[in-house]
Amino acid sequence: MDFSRYRKRSPWILHYNAGSCNGCDIEILAALSPRYDLERFGVLNSGNPKQSDIFLVTGPVTYRSRERLVELYNQMPEPKVVIALGSCTCTGGVFRGMYNVEDGIDRYIPVDVYIPGCAASPELIIDGVVQALDILEKKTKERENAKRLYSEPTTENGITDRSNSAQKIGTGGFSPEEMKPNSPERRENEED
Amino acid sequence: MNTVWIILAPLIGGLLYGVERIVRARMQGRKGPPLLQPFYDMFKLLDKRPLLVNPAHVLLGIMHFITLWIAVGLIITGTNLLFVIFVHLLASIFLVASGFSVRSVYSHIGANRELLTMVAYEPLLILIAAGFYLKNGYFSIELIHEGEPLLGSLWMLFGALLLVIPIKLKKSPFDAAEAHQEIVGGVEVEYSGVYFEFLYMAKWLEYIFVYLLVILFAGNSVMMAIVLVSSVFLLVNLVDNATARVRIPHLIAITLGIGLTLSILNLIGVGYGL
Repeated sequence: MDFSRYRKRSPWILHYNAGSCNGCDIEILAALSPRYDLERFGVLNSGNPKQSDIFLVTGPVTYRSRERLVELYNQMPEPKVVIALGSCTCTGGVFRGMYNVEDGIDRYIPVDVYIPGCAASPELIIDGVVQALDILEKKTKERENAKRLYSEPTTENGITDRSNSAQKIGTGGFSPEEMKPNSPERRENEED
Repeated sequence: MNTVWIILAPLIGGLLYGVERIVRARMQGRKGPPLLQPFYDMFKLLDKRPLLVNPAHVLLGIMHFITLWIAVGLIITGTNLLFVIFVHLLASIFLVASGFSVRSVYSHIGANRELLTMVAYEPLLILIAAGFYLKNGYFSIELIHEGEPLLGSLWMLFGALLLVIPIKLKKSPFDAAEAHQEIVGGVEVEYSGVYFEFLYMAKWLEYIFVYLLVILFAGNSVMMAIVLVSSVFLLVNLVDNATARVRIPHLIAITLGIGLTLSILNLIGVGYGL
């Protein structure tokens, strides 16, 4: 039986704050509140990566939050979609180029929907989630990996081991010299 | 007839859960999800890629679901009330064991809290069974259903049951065992996809189990059973919407302090034939 059409009817959201100023987070809560009532579409803010379908990320990704970001992404079972919510999450926003943030989450994980705005309004969030649902419906159960991993997931006897995949990403593949804001290596990496 | 009800029990529980989500939303001035939302969730979970943590973890989760189903089935067939309560206890123990079988810290905290809530509500359930025995002279659920309504003489024990219901259904103020967002669902944190469905369905069965206990107080009066279940349903959801979560030591203190006092007073009263 094909259950893929039910994906649209019960999207469970995992919300992660990767160093956001809380502006977007407040708007997410507003979207869940009685005025906008996302729950009427079956949306649930589950808070558990293993039971979620939509990964809703806010914030420009501080260095401390990178490992968590990748770990959460890895723990989500496919099919899954990622929404980058707010200007910071899409591009780095006003923090772009600063020494303590990565410029947007798409350096680490593949993003399906970008929602601009500082902060994004609840209407935009609902629009973005609806877009994400269309993508979710078409996705397959193929494994999707983060762009940078400490170790690749291994499969043994049909059991996939994803542990340690995000540990010690540390500098995200950069050496300490390369981590300096305007180092040529970093700029080069930004271009691709 | 009983067999049909036993097979349908999880489905009815799912419908009850759907109704409850709507009622809760309406109380908050929201429209709420569709009635069949819990079943949409189930179909979606079937479609997820399964992630296995370890086989024992999943096996214990399934055993929790099956044992709970057996407990509900035993109430429907009308066996010994005390036996049903102990079978239900076994189901809870499987859940706790599954929580300890993985390395997740949240799962361990959840399992710990699950154990502590069992300390809080299990004595009350046993005292409720004792109350029925003192009043009637038997534990048989079938005979309780044929007898007179006992709410009048056991109303304090009914009050104790009202304290147990929010704990079993994971409702505020007594939802510290699950504590969404705080400990990410407690014991269910490591379940995903198909395996989570068993825990999800077990949650529905808890609804059926609890409301079947409520019906016991109505005896042979169908009218009274309907009134009791619907008023308890509304009350539990109203309290859920209106209160904040209490910490686990307070949960135990409140449940045992008030619940044990009420039930022991009631038992003494029944013992002296009041």
